[in-house]
Amino acid sequence: MPLLLTSCSPLRRSLLCPVSLFFIHKTANLSLIMSSNNMADPRRQNKILRYKAPSTETNVTLEDPTPDYMNLLGMIFSMCGLMLKLKWCAWIAVYCSFISFANSRSSEDTKQMMSSFMLSISAVVMSYLQNPQPMSPPW
Amino acid sequence: FIVLFKFCAFPRVMETQLVMGRYNDDFDDGEDLADFDDNDFAEFEDMNDDLASEAETTPPPPRASPSSQPEEEEDEDEATVELEGDQDGFEDSDTQDMYSKYDQEEFEGIRDIEKTGHSMKDPLIIHTVPAHLQNSWESYYMEILMVTGLLAYIMNYIIGKNKNGRLAQAWFNSHRELLESNFALVGDDGTSKEAVSTGKLNQENEHIYNLWCSGRVCCEGMLIQLKFLKRQDLLNVLARMMRPAGDQVQIKVTLNEEDMDTFVFAVGTKKAMARLQKEMQDLSEFCGDKPKSGSKYGLPDSLAILSEMGEVTDGVMDNKMVHYITNHADKIESIHFSDQFSGPKIMQEEGQPLKLPETKKTLLFTFNVPGMGNTSTKDMDALLPLMNMVIYSIDKVKKLRLNREGKQKADRNRARVEENFLKQTHAQRQEAAQTRREEKKRAEKERIMNEEDPERQRRLEEAAQRREQKKIEKKQMKMKQIKVKAM
Repeated sequence: MPLLLTSCSPLRRSLLCPVSLFFIHKTANLSLIMSSNNMADPRRQNKILRYKAPSTETNVTLEDPTPDYMNLLGMIFSMCGLMLKLKWCAWIAVYCSFISFANSRSSEDTKQMMSSFMLSISAVVMSYLQNPQPMSPPW
Repeated sequence: FIVLFKFCAFPRVMETQLVMGRYNDDFDDGEDLADFDDNDFAEFEDMNDDLASEAETTPPPPRASPSSQPEEEEDEDEATVELEGDQDGFEDSDTQDMYSKYDQEEFEGIRDIEKTGHSMKDPLIIHTVPAHLQNSWESYYMEILMVTGLLAYIMNYIIGKNKNGRLAQAWFNSHRELLESNFALVGDDGTSKEAVSTGKLNQENEHIYNLWCSGRVCCEGMLIQLKFLKRQDLLNVLARMMRPAGDQVQIKVTLNEEDMDTFVFAVGTKKAMARLQKEMQDLSEFCGDKPKSGSKYGLPDSLAILSEMGEVTDGVMDNKMVHYITNHADKIESIHFSDQFSGPKIMQEEGQPLKLPETKKTLLFTFNVPGMGNTSTKDMDALLPLMNMVIYSIDKVKKLRLNREGKQKADRNRARVEENFLKQTHAQRQEAAQTRREEKKRAEKERIMNEEDPERQRRLEEAAQRREQKKIEKKQMKMKQIKVKAM
């Protein structure tokens, strides 16, 4: 459109102006519509890719070992507390199971958490049933 | 005799009254005999069990007579004492004691003398009551401490979880508009059948939130990870008091093959660059030189650049990029563009892996949330311009093309890396091939052995032998050819 205008003589240009403006407007509209699909709006419905959970090999962040270690530690301490009748072992086991729960991933099994939790609580209760004396500090 | 008895009876009556006084001040003549009977018996039991039994056998007569038995004055009661016979001696000593006891009512001060006398004879050892028999909570202070600690942990868990949740939501709210205008799919957890934007963050943990965006030109998709501090774990909170750390936002943009030319580039804090150069497979292979200071390209001095070649740096660091980075240098941890991205170096026990790791064209951004741990929801807005930079980078990388020289250099680099890799694994690959061949042979032999039909067995054996022969001949031919060529 601009090329046509410049090729015309000034008189014709003035006559053509409104017409050309009209055309320009139209094409501008069209180009706007086109650009809204191409340049202004980068979204592409056809290019959607579904989310795939990253595997643990590539994603080191998901490999945080804290909840697993704490779970294991909690079980060991609660076993010690039950077998050797040590109160402080049982209390540490309760703490470990709490820490494990706080750090756990949402994809982890709740049954595992609950079982370690129950084990540690039972260790504490059993230690006190067998020996109701209060815990003596180590100092 | 009777006169004597009466004479004795009077003081005894007095004394029984005194005794009564001791046990029961409001003694009445008309009171129930049973009352003072008990007291009488108690009195007897105190001193002498035999006397008590005797007192029981005689029915409670008027007061004078039961009391008359123990309380006989030595002088005057010999007659009555004789009646009783054996217990003279006991009675005498007992009466002495009784008298000394009763004297307390009339004489003050005797008790103290008596007591001191007693304490000198029998030292009393007062044992401490065991703690669990004491009815006080104070002895259980360790348990109370433990329970308080647990309660504190639970409180911290709830508070930390809520804070992280609020921070994540604030981030998403401030970035939602920008993301929705750029991506067709904002938020996906991969489980729903149709690709519909969930418009929500995926919660991995109490401190990690994910967001997957897809459906845009120039890229396959963008994974945003909000890695907050473990505010829900009290141990972590205490550890952070020693070593301050900040929340991070990690953005990983994966690109299609045609979206990016072949180059490897990284810019970030000096510490981060040093670490990435050691850890990342592609940076260590393609960007061998030490990180260059950013000041050469107009960046602040705190930032360093790792690049495959100078042309790449010039291409990436245009004015707008420099402007972005300079303005937000405090929030940028690292920016990593790579067409050979395969993650961190994998440490394998048996040496190098047998195959080259798979590579993907990726742009990685790691931003630090301002506040260094003490972030508030308002700080999330400060990250919005950085997201704009990410979008700008995606478009830019699509347009960035190396010139011919650069392309050749890049291709040579890649070929070199591959060759090195193959050389290193050559020995291992040979071993692997060898084992595979042996496996095949063994499998064949087993097959032959397992054949039940002897005919078929013989035939298979012959076929195997022929194959062996052919192989040997081939090898011999090869050797001959090499010899000829050498000559």
